[in-house]
Amino acid sequence: MKNILKGPVVILCRIVLGGVFIYASLDKIMHPEEFAKAIGNYHVLPFGLENLLALALPWLELLAGVALIAGVMVDGAAIMVIIMNIVFIFAISQALARGISIECGCFSVTTEGGDNIGFQTIIRDIGYLIMGFIVLYRKDNLFEFYPKSV
Amino acid sequence: MELTRPLYQVAIFLALSCLIGFGSNLARNNSIPWLAQELVLAESIDTNSNEPVLTAISLDQAKSFFDDGILFLDARDEGYYEAGHIKGAMRNLFLFELIFKIEEEQSKSDPLVVYCGDPGCGDSEDLAYDLQAEGFTKLYVFKGGWLEWSEASYPSETGL
Repeated sequence: MKNILKGPVVILCRIVLGGVFIYASLDKIMHPEEFAKAIGNYHVLPFGLENLLALALPWLELLAGVALIAGVMVDGAAIMVIIMNIVFIFAISQALARGISIECGCFSVTTEGGDNIGFQTIIRDIGYLIMGFIVLYRKDNLFEFYPKSV
Repeated sequence: MELTRPLYQVAIFLALSCLIGFGSNLARNNSIPWLAQELVLAESIDTNSNEPVLTAISLDQAKSFFDDGILFLDARDEGYYEAGHIKGAMRNLFLFELIFKIEEEQSKSDPLVVYCGDPGCGDSEDLAYDLQAEGFTKLYVFKGGWLEWSEASYPSETGL
């Protein structure tokens, strides 16, 4: 079990998570209005806060993704990825439980159809969540440049 | 595991993303409002138009819809519905069951009024957006809801 938390597995998790989060952020950064609508469809935020979230969240995804790959502040980035995935899983589950069929808004927010939420979305996010924990509880600090390993 | 440093990093990530996200919204040409707009109250209503609508309506407009025999939908939970609702209003169900029931009575392009408890509740608006996403095109949210309707002593009934 300890081997999972070392060397290539951790590096692989960092690269996959980093790539996924960078890719997920780009379309949302370009189209905050569409992303705000996608968030609004989940009906979890009060007072029209979806617009503020639509502005900040994609940058958080991008920064965390870049940090994971670049080996900068990896602990903080892993925690952010874990928190984001827990929030995503919660938002998707409550939408599924209420029987509303909506666009995921996970990656592309501009294409119509084809990216609806479902159990596969939750499974995918649980996968990312596990990878986040592997990175957070890693036993070595290969290819990490800031902060220097303790 | 030491926690102080990771949390410090989390704070940096949060601060940076807010700063860049909000800053870029100020800088871009097609910036979005800081808060999403609420539904505005309709001034005039033309139910014969073919344009898709999702708008809020007042008590008077709701009453005139009621008099025209337009279908009302109660977005509250069963207990509230049972205790009292607008006469003839349809009860809230699991979304797809509800859509099936509405479609037994009318098409997706026919007008539909959705209401909940009082002007502060969001269930009617949520349900209206859900129905819009499912293809309903004429949705009116009666914001005053059961509170204004019952205070005006307009036709109502109890039970399921």
